[in-house]
Amino acid sequence: MSDDRSRRHGEYKTPGGKLVAVDLRVADGLLTDVQVSGDFFVYPEEAFADLAVALEGAPIDGGEAALADRVRRGFRSGAELLGSSPEGLAIAVGRALATRPGDHLG
Amino acid sequence: MMNMALDEVLTERVGRGVRPPTLRIWAWTDPCVVLGRFQSVRNEVDEEAAARLGIQVVRRISGGGAMFIQPEGAITWSIYAPESLVAGMSFPESYAFLDAWVVRELRELGIDAWYAPLNDIVSSAGKIGGAAQARRHGAVLHHTTMAYEMDVGLMLQVLRIGQEKLSDKGTRSAEKRVGPLALGTRLSRSAIIDRLVESFSTRYAATADGLLPEEVAEAGRRVEVRFSTPAWTHVLP
Repeated sequence: MSDDRSRRHGEYKTPGGKLVAVDLRVADGLLTDVQVSGDFFVYPEEAFADLAVALEGAPIDGGEAALADRVRRGFRSGAELLGSSPEGLAIAVGRALATRPGDHLG
Repeated sequence: MMNMALDEVLTERVGRGVRPPTLRIWAWTDPCVVLGRFQSVRNEVDEEAAARLGIQVVRRISGGGAMFIQPEGAITWSIYAPESLVAGMSFPESYAFLDAWVVRELRELGIDAWYAPLNDIVSSAGKIGGAAQARRHGAVLHHTTMAYEMDVGLMLQVLRIGQEKLSDKGTRSAEKRVGPLALGTRLSRSAIIDRLVESFSTRYAATADGLLPEEVAEAGRRVEVRFSTPAWTHVLP
């Protein structure tokens, strides 16, 4: 995350729920250096790491349904994501990809 | 930071059964921003402005959103209880359950407050406060911060509140979202705290208690090795 200029940033707030933000880079058509953050809740806490891991290496042209599917499959069973959803994460990724690197820095 | 560490230490001790279920009212000493466990620092805080204004940035162990704290302007409490207390409840149900006694008490004080899922206490004037939970070692930590008074202008200098965050609120102004308790009552902050403690004690047959020296010492140690370190505060830059 040292080079902010090559990062892209996208956010999505689930109506009535929480905001999820995704910071990422694109290399060779794949998502890399993915950071997921937001004011959602994850139980157990350890399952939080699954979200970014699931998105890492995903192709940028696979579509949001495929991204949501990756997140759903990568999230350990029995864990709970409160206030957002795999679909919400996928929308945030889509919004990040629709920007140019460094755009969010204004 | 001591508050963040105490939450962790006391949750573990209640989970291990070496401390009975406990209600703790927080004493705030310094103005600060408290980030949720999963929030990104740069997304939530203008760190330069915070440093200039002498406002500390800390991270708590529970998820949820950033809070702007002025010591005399906030009322914060934690409940530490065995998870069996909320057994059979969904997470949203347990949030509502562990805040219900406060909402009832606020209404008895004449404040038109109600619970707004997932984790907010609101009035017609705006948001009063929010709750967050962490679960560890078989115990649930449920903590809630309510605004008594707030310098919203100062808050907006430090917290970044983007338009996406307000997208479903029907308002484009963060200012209009805050409804501190002092808008709805002439009671002082300490009088409200006294009433909350009294009502909790009556309802749950609780007795007054203090922190043990070993709990304070352990929390102090964790401040040093974790809660005061950039590795923790900036775990999500």
